[in-house]
Amino acid sequence: MRYSDLGIGALLLFFSLLAPGFLNNYQLSFLLQVLMMVTLAQSWNLISGMTGYISFGHGVFFGVGAYTGALLLMGGAFWWVAILSAALLAAALALPLGLLTLRLRGPYFAIAMLGLNEVGRILANLWVDLTGGGDGIALSPLLSPVLATNYFSMLALAVLATLGMGWILRSRFGLELRAIREDEEAAEMLGIDTIRNKLIAFTASALLPGAAGAIYAFYTSFIDPSSVFLPALNVQMIVVVLLGGRGTLWGPVLGAVLLMSVQELTWAEFPALHLALLGLLMILLVLYLPDGLLGAWKRIGSRYG
Amino acid sequence: MSAPPLLHLQQLDASYGPIQVLFSVQLEVQPGEIVALIGPNGAGKSTVIKSIIGLVRVLRGQIRLAGREITGMATHHAPLHGIGYVPQGRILFARMTVRENLEMGAFLQQDPRERRRLVEEVLDQFPQLAARAQVLAGHLSGGEQQMLAIGRSLMMRPKLLMLDEPSLGLSPKYVDQIFAQLLVLRDQGHTLLMVEQNAARALEIADRGYVLELGRNRFADRASALLENEAVRRLYLGGV
Ligand SMILES: Nc1ncnc2c1ncn2[C@@H]1O[C@H](COP(=O)(O)OP(=O)(O)OP(=O)(O)O)[C@@H](O)[C@H]1O
Ligand SMILES: [Mg+2]
Repeated sequence: MRYSDLGIGALLLFFSLLAPGFLNNYQLSFLLQVLMMVTLAQSWNLISGMTGYISFGHGVFFGVGAYTGALLLMGGAFWWVAILSAALLAAALALPLGLLTLRLRGPYFAIAMLGLNEVGRILANLWVDLTGGGDGIALSPLLSPVLATNYFSMLALAVLATLGMGWILRSRFGLELRAIREDEEAAEMLGIDTIRNKLIAFTASALLPGAAGAIYAFYTSFIDPSSVFLPALNVQMIVVVLLGGRGTLWGPVLGAVLLMSVQELTWAEFPALHLALLGLLMILLVLYLPDGLLGAWKRIGSRYG
Repeated sequence: MSAPPLLHLQQLDASYGPIQVLFSVQLEVQPGEIVALIGPNGAGKSTVIKSIIGLVRVLRGQIRLAGREITGMATHHAPLHGIGYVPQGRILFARMTVRENLEMGAFLQQDPRERRRLVEEVLDQFPQLAARAQVLAGHLSGGEQQMLAIGRSLMMRPKLLMLDEPSLGLSPKYVDQIFAQLLVLRDQGHTLLMVEQNAARALEIADRGYVLELGRNRFADRASALLENEAVRRLYLGGV
């Protein structure tokens, strides 16, 4: 199991490292977005896939990261300092949010996260002095890293996210999160500090979208409230994880590749329908494929193998 | 009396939010005995147990374990204090196997070899579970699930084992088995505090009993004496 994981990972990494050599800019941009989705999905997988606490607004950390990255870069920071700061700021935001909502069991967390992305978007619109409001921020091409740099940053982030998930899945921490998802009260009784674990998972999970948001801002070199606090993004990362298989290592990777490819081929033509189709897909997955493709694969395998 | 009781509740008041449920509840458990806590639905029996392990807020009063105050402790510290708990409705990890559930019972045991040894020990004690070690807990029968819940709570070798309605919803055959098992545990030196609807059966195996009503102590005596008590028989044992 472990070796096959490493094998798959090495193969994917090998291809991704060579990709800039033989892909054109359009193709490389697409791959960058797939890697971004892998990162976001692993992040969502950590908090929601592992613990069962569903975040409907994880995109808020992406938006915060995008603005932090853009502003710091324009302020003269090194690009990697801007990325790091974006990640840390997102996590610093997650901690008090978690303290407020994760101390309680039940739906409070999900409800709070549902509204948060909108709060982010509205704030970005209103706080004109800092964010430029609805006009957004255009990043000077002189200061922004080039496409290849952004691509490799995003690749590093996606690899980090997946390695982190691989480690967590085998660790004691992962077992504690799984126990929380299965039955929180039982987990608590058996000696698991459920609140602490949920807080750590949530705070750590905010690092990734924070960093990804910053890289995304460098890559598009223009951000505004509606492009980085994007409702569709919240749904996409959920669909990706559900499609691949929640609480698994490769589910988010598989889901990201599939969803992004299908979107690229079809839905890009119907932007107005996009969100509705994503929502529909999410419902269908929950109803008919709750364990995702990897779960279904495992079930078929155990039946016939 | 020299040694303090293993468990001692003194003047315990407890509430769910603004609603007070326990009023000055008094209870003692001595090492090595089975104590039955009985009473009608809604009397507050589960609440007593939950307040001991920090699932319910204690307003006033004290909870002492072997003389040491543990009032209001965090639930996840219960295993560290040597308290095992089998909740009402036997909460298991339904999508984990019997063996995994047992391993989770020794979650705080860091050494995996020691953990495996504890699992084998419990499986020896519950042959029915041993036969189904690789089955998902959710696929077990009610009686087997209750056995598993008890087995899991024994994994940390608790000084005090608290059971909330261990016979609830079980067929008579399984009720017999569970009660027989509890007696075995007592004979092995375990100390049990048991909440039961099935008051007569509980008092038959218990050493002492407490009757709770509307969140207050009503009777407390040796179990055999409670079984003989006219008022208790009429009110709680459905008898003549
Ligand atoms: N989570 C809760 N929130 C509010 N009130 C509660 C809660 N749980 C129990 N109660 C109330 O507290 C009182 C005591 O409940 P408790 O569960 O301790 O009774 P019990 O003696 O265990 O009854 P049963 O035999 O039905 O299990 C009841 O009036 C009940 O309605
Ligand atoms: Mg009860």
